[in-house]
Amino acid sequence: MPREIALGDALVPGLLVLFVLALLALWLLDWLAGRFGLYRLVWHPTLFRLAAFVCVFGAFALFLN
Amino acid sequence: MTGSDFSGSVPLGRRLVVETLREEASVWLFVAKTLLAIFVTGWIAMRLALPSPSTAMITTIIVANRQSGMVLAKSFYRALGTVAGAGAAIGIVAAFPQQRDLFLVALSLWLGVCAGGATLYRNFKAYAFVLAGYTAAVIVVPVIENPPGVFDSAVARLSEVLLGILVSGAISDVVFPSRVRDVLRRSARGQFSDFLGFVRGSMEGAIPRDAMENAHLRFVRAAVTLEDLRSSVIFEDAETRARSNHLRLFNQRFMAASTSFQSLHHLINRLKRARRDRAADALVHLYAPLGEALEVPLEAGEGARVLLPRLLVARERMREDAVEVRAGFADEQDLRDFETGASLLLRFAGELYDYVDAASTLQAPRIVGGPVERVRFDRGNDYLGAGIATARTTLTMLVLGAFWIESAWPLGSSAMLIATIFAGLFAVTPNPTRVTRDVTYGYLIGMVLGFLCHFFVLTQLDGYGLMVAGVLPFLVVGVMLQASQRWGGIGLGWALGLLYILAFKNHQVYDPAHFINDAIAQIVGLMSAVVSFIVIPSAIGSPWLRRRQLAALRGQVALAAEAPLPGLRHRFESVNHDLFSQVVAQTEPGSADSRALIAWALAVHETGRALIELRHDMARGELPPTLRPYLEGVLATLARFYVKPDPASYLLARDAVATAIAGVCEHEGHRHLLEHLRLVRMALLDGESVLAAYMPDTPPAKEIAHAS
Repeated sequence: MPREIALGDALVPGLLVLFVLALLALWLLDWLAGRFGLYRLVWHPTLFRLAAFVCVFGAFALFLN
Repeated sequence: MTGSDFSGSVPLGRRLVVETLREEASVWLFVAKTLLAIFVTGWIAMRLALPSPSTAMITTIIVANRQSGMVLAKSFYRALGTVAGAGAAIGIVAAFPQQRDLFLVALSLWLGVCAGGATLYRNFKAYAFVLAGYTAAVIVVPVIENPPGVFDSAVARLSEVLLGILVSGAISDVVFPSRVRDVLRRSARGQFSDFLGFVRGSMEGAIPRDAMENAHLRFVRAAVTLEDLRSSVIFEDAETRARSNHLRLFNQRFMAASTSFQSLHHLINRLKRARRDRAADALVHLYAPLGEALEVPLEAGEGARVLLPRLLVARERMREDAVEVRAGFADEQDLRDFETGASLLLRFAGELYDYVDAASTLQAPRIVGGPVERVRFDRGNDYLGAGIATARTTLTMLVLGAFWIESAWPLGSSAMLIATIFAGLFAVTPNPTRVTRDVTYGYLIGMVLGFLCHFFVLTQLDGYGLMVAGVLPFLVVGVMLQASQRWGGIGLGWALGLLYILAFKNHQVYDPAHFINDAIAQIVGLMSAVVSFIVIPSAIGSPWLRRRQLAALRGQVALAAEAPLPGLRHRFESVNHDLFSQVVAQTEPGSADSRALIAWALAVHETGRALIELRHDMARGELPPTLRPYLEGVLATLARFYVKPDPASYLLARDAVATAIAGVCEHEGHRHLLEHLRLVRMALLDGESVLAAYMPDTPPAKEIAHAS
C-alpha cells in the first residue's frame, strides 16, 4: 500500500486514514468486550484497551511498507 | 450512616486535613496529567513534523478534565466536529475560490448555523457543532490567498487535533484515571434509595405542598443528571455502553413512577383540604402495604432483587384491601374519591415494580436477556434561541470580515479566528459574557507571560527538554486554576493564551514586532467576541426565554392530548424533565419565578399523564359513538387552556370535563375512564395549584363536592 492514499484526486497521508480505521476496529472490539464482560478478566482494562489499539494500529501500519 | 460513625471516631481536625489533602492531590494529579499530555503531544507533533504542533498542544488543554470519561466524550465529539468542519471548509473553498466576499458570507453562514445547532443540544453534542463551525474557519482563513492550499491545511488540522485527542485520551484514561463510572453508579444508587426512602417515609399520608415541590425538584434533577452522566460514561467504560439502554429504561421508569407518586399525594392533599377525611384516610391505609414492602435494608448487598417479590405481595394485598374498603363506604361521594385514588395507587404500584425491576437488572453482574425495549430521552429544544445564536455569530463574523477586508489589516485573519473560536465555544454556556470576560483576562495574563517566556527564557534554551522546563513555570498556575470552579475561566484563558502566542513550531521564530501585532490581533478578536455577547445577549437565562420555556412546558399538555400514542409516555416524561431542569437551572432558587415554574410543572405533569392514560384507555376499549365527542372535547379544551390559559378557556375546560364525566356515568362498562377524568377534574379544581388564578370565585371545597 502506498504511503499516501488518493481519495478522489487528493492525496491523504495513509497513516491518517489507517488511524481512523484502527479507531473503528477498536470500537468494535470494545463493543464485543463490553457485551460479554471480557474486561473483567483483565487487570487494567484501559491499559489493555490502549495496548490493543497500539497493536491494531501497528498491524495496519505495516501495510504501508 | 457510615459517615456519622466515621465522624464520631476520628477527630474533626484530622478529617479536615485528610479531606483537604485528598482534594489537593486530585488537583495536582489533574495538573500533572494535563502537563504531561501537553508536552508529549508537542514532542510527537514535532517528531512527525506537523506544521503547527501548538494546535495539537492546545487541543489537549481544551479537552482537559479531571474525569477520564469526560475527556473521552469531549474528544469523541471534538473529533467528529473537526472532521465535519474540515469537509465544510473544503466545500466552501471549492464553491467560491475566487470571490472573497461571497466566500466570507458563506463561511459566516456556516459558522452561524453551527452555533445555532449547538444551542439545540446540551452536553458535548453541542461542542461537536461548535467545532464543526470554527474548524472550517481555522482551516480556511489562513489559506484565503491560496485556495489550493486548503486541502493540506485541512489534513494538517485533522492530524494535529486527532493527535492531541489521542494523547490526552490515552493519558487521562491510563494514568491514575478518575472514573465517571463510579459517579454514575453512585448517582444511580442514590436516585434509587432516595426515591424509595421518600416513598417509604411518606406512609403517613399527607405531605405538605412545599415538601412535595422540593422532592419533585430533586427527582427531576436526578433524572437529568443521570442521563447526562450516562452519555459521557459510555465512552469510558465498555460495559456501561452495553448497559446503556438498560440505564435509559431505568431512568424512564423512574420518571413515570415519580409522576404517579406526585399525583397520588396531591390527590390525598386535596381530599384532606376538602374535609373528605374518610376517603383520604382510606387511601393512606391502602397505601400501607407498599410502605411495609419497602422496609428492607437495601445495603445488605442483595440489592433491588429482594424487593421484587415483596412488592408483588404488597400489590396483591392492596387489591384485596381495596375491595374490602370499597364495600365499607356508604357515601357515594366518598366511594368515587376512593376509587379514583385507588386506581392511581395501583398504577403507581405497578410502575414502582417496573422501576425496581429495571434497577435489579442493572445490578445483576451479567447482562442477561436479549435486546431491551429501546427508549429515548427526548429533549425540549427551543428553535428561536438557536436562531438568535445563529444570527449573532453570523453578524459578528460578517462585521469582522468586512473590517478585515476594508482595513487590509495583515493580521485581521488572526483576530477573526480568535473571535470565531470564542464566540463559538462560549455561546452555549449559561452566562457567556462573564465566561468570555474571565477567559479574556486569563488570556491577557497568558500573553504577557508568553512574552516574557518567549523572549527572555526560550531564547536561552536549546532542545525539547529544556523548552519544557522553560515553559512549565509559566503554564503550571494556569492549568491549576483550570481545575477550580471559580477561576476555571481565567485558568483556561491563561493556558490557551500562553500556548497560542508561543505557537511552537519546529523552527521557532523570534520576531518581537510580529509577536506584538499578533497579540493585539488576538485581543481584538477576543474583545469582539465579548462585545458580540453584550450586543446580542444570549437568550439563555432571560425572562423572555423563561416565558417561552414556560409556554413550552404548558404546551406539553397539548402534546399529551394530541400527539400519536406510541412512545408518548416516554416522550412526555423526558421532554418535561428536560424543559423543567433547563428552566430550574436558570432561575433563582426560591424566587417567585421559580415557584411559579414548579407549580406549573406539577400541574402539567399531573394533567398530562392523566390525559395520556385516558387516551390509552380510549384506544384500548370499544367506545360508544355518543361518548367519543365528549372525551375528545375534554382533550381539545384542556390542550387549549394549557397552551393559552385564561379564565374563559378555564371554564370551557372545566365544563367539558364535567360533561364528559356525566356522559361516561350514563354508559355502563366504562367506569375505568372515569378515574382519569376525575383526576383531571380534581387537578383543575385544586384551589392551591397555579390554576387558582383562572378560577371564578367559588369556594374550592364546594367545588370538589360538586365535581364528582
